[in-house]
Amino acid sequence: MNSKLGLLIRLALIRPRFTIGYLIVASVLLVAILAPIIAPYSPTEADSQNFLQPPSAAHLFGTDNVGMDIFSRAIYAPRIDLTIAILGTLLSSVIGSSIGAVVGFYGSGRGIRVWLSFAIMRAADVLQAFPIFVFAIALVASLGQSIQTVVLAIAFVNAPIYLRLMRSQVLSIRSMRYVEASQVNGLSDTRTIIRHVIPNAMAPVLAQLSINIGWGIVLTAALSFVGAGVRAPTPEWGSMIAMGFQNVVTGQWWPSMIPGAMLAITVFGFSLVGASIEFLVDPSKRRELLSQARERRGHAGVPMEDA
Amino acid sequence: MRILAYLAKRLVFVIPQLLGIVLVSFLLVKSIPGDPAVLMLGPTATKEAIAALRQQLGLDQPLYIQFLIYVRNLMHGDLGTSWQTTRPVLDDLYQRFPATIELVTFSLLLAIIVGVTLGVLAARNPRGWIARVSDIYGLSAGALPDFWFALVLIFVFYTVLGWAPAPLGRLDVTIIPPSPMTGALTIDTLLAGDWQGFHSACAHLVLPVLTLGLVNAGPILKMTQSTMEKMLESDFSRYEVLCGVPQNLVVRHALRNALPSVVTIISVLYGFLIGGAVLVEIVFAWGGAGQYAVQGVLNADIYPVLGFVLFSAIFSLVVYIVVDLIYFLLDPRISN
Repeated sequence: MNSKLGLLIRLALIRPRFTIGYLIVASVLLVAILAPIIAPYSPTEADSQNFLQPPSAAHLFGTDNVGMDIFSRAIYAPRIDLTIAILGTLLSSVIGSSIGAVVGFYGSGRGIRVWLSFAIMRAADVLQAFPIFVFAIALVASLGQSIQTVVLAIAFVNAPIYLRLMRSQVLSIRSMRYVEASQVNGLSDTRTIIRHVIPNAMAPVLAQLSINIGWGIVLTAALSFVGAGVRAPTPEWGSMIAMGFQNVVTGQWWPSMIPGAMLAITVFGFSLVGASIEFLVDPSKRRELLSQARERRGHAGVPMEDA
Repeated sequence: MRILAYLAKRLVFVIPQLLGIVLVSFLLVKSIPGDPAVLMLGPTATKEAIAALRQQLGLDQPLYIQFLIYVRNLMHGDLGTSWQTTRPVLDDLYQRFPATIELVTFSLLLAIIVGVTLGVLAARNPRGWIARVSDIYGLSAGALPDFWFALVLIFVFYTVLGWAPAPLGRLDVTIIPPSPMTGALTIDTLLAGDWQGFHSACAHLVLPVLTLGLVNAGPILKMTQSTMEKMLESDFSRYEVLCGVPQNLVVRHALRNALPSVVTIISVLYGFLIGGAVLVEIVFAWGGAGQYAVQGVLNADIYPVLGFVLFSAIFSLVVYIVVDLIYFLLDPRISN
């Protein structure tokens, strides 16, 4: 047990950047969960006497232009932003990769299935030719502005990425011996895809998930920034940046800069985690890293060079 | 000849794709709640007036007829009228699209300079400090929300230091805009010989270009670095090193061979930025096409949105076709 912990610590020290990523994501999640306990003020109630106060002991990050406490709002915000981004990304990966798996599995040969696959790929082309942001706002506007529609917009905009990713994975896997073996042994196509093809094609999808959650947070914030996402008193980073927008020009930086910095750090954390997954799913790199960690056994605790 | 055949084939695919884009965006914006007739006439309008206007706009027709009318008008170069500006969408876009293209092009140039330079230097010495810096930069640049980074730059360079002009458009208010030739103010002011105007246009470009260029250099950097590393490890580079070819020359030859993939990522980014610059346009009150489309969505003004989607799709397609032609030049193997 102890040696496993030691190995983990050595791994963390060899790749400090991955460690930082996991630390950022963990602390954002923790802050979001504990927000009601940590927050000194209500995230939606304004103290109209004390508007635009600079950061001080009473208001750690200052107050915004209606007098709401920025610290309290900024730590409540990831509840909304992360929920939307994670749900949207999961939904898009489920939809995108299941269609992608089917398209990849039936995409060659002949018959109606091939034509269907071709049609689906061209439809994905059309969707990807749209300017993403305008497409997302139009989706939210036509479905009615709410948290659910922002989730749907993120899912819809990202689905083609997973479709392509899964399709290219499945194309290379479907000619493998074990897929043939499973078919020869009488498993139906559906069971073959679910039991043998998808699990072996998941690795890059997982790496993409973490990166896309980061993008999802930016997209949510961007939609709220132009007024098409989450509405004002609800604590959300994008709408907080928008509220402080005019004040930045006149010198009150805190209402915009602080939520934006938290947003940027969070997204950075998720892309580091994504990079680590991308790295760890490669078996040869994983082996190299593990052997490096074992070599350093003697001098654990000394920060290692980040190769 | 091969190139012509290729272009013809390409165009055959382009037209159904454009139709698909128009159809999807038409259905999408048509389902945005809000009746343009009510919005145009205001809250005091009578029922009869609204009905008359709806009939005049064709809004009382079934959806598929409305779509056919729109497509027929498109063929005649009529993209509809914006009820917000009360001008034909085509005229509005002629005015705004060049503003967006100018902004995006300069930003892309900055992104290329930063991305390719760092990528080549990092690949040249994968264990050096430049490689480490560019790794961190590649990861963090993608994490920066551009609209927030723009505000940071405005705060530092306008509010605190006072070096940059106010983030309110493309020219100082005191300067008379040049008569539009290309629509790109840097070029138009030069053509008019208006040095003061040229200076003002450049000064207004600095912060938005810095924002978009620095935030979007990441993908170019990553692609350059990984392709260059692959090229420098390949047989032809090793052979050159063994023969004692100077390192600079080896790197130059590797870069020549890495260019096709770098060009690909640049073209994808160019198409993306036309729509992706929207938020930066809003922050700097740029008056570009993306901003026009967003205003359209938020106010149930559908024709500007359709026009913008169509224009940017065509722009992307043109970029991709030009890039394919560049491949023919870069890689003689393709044309055989």
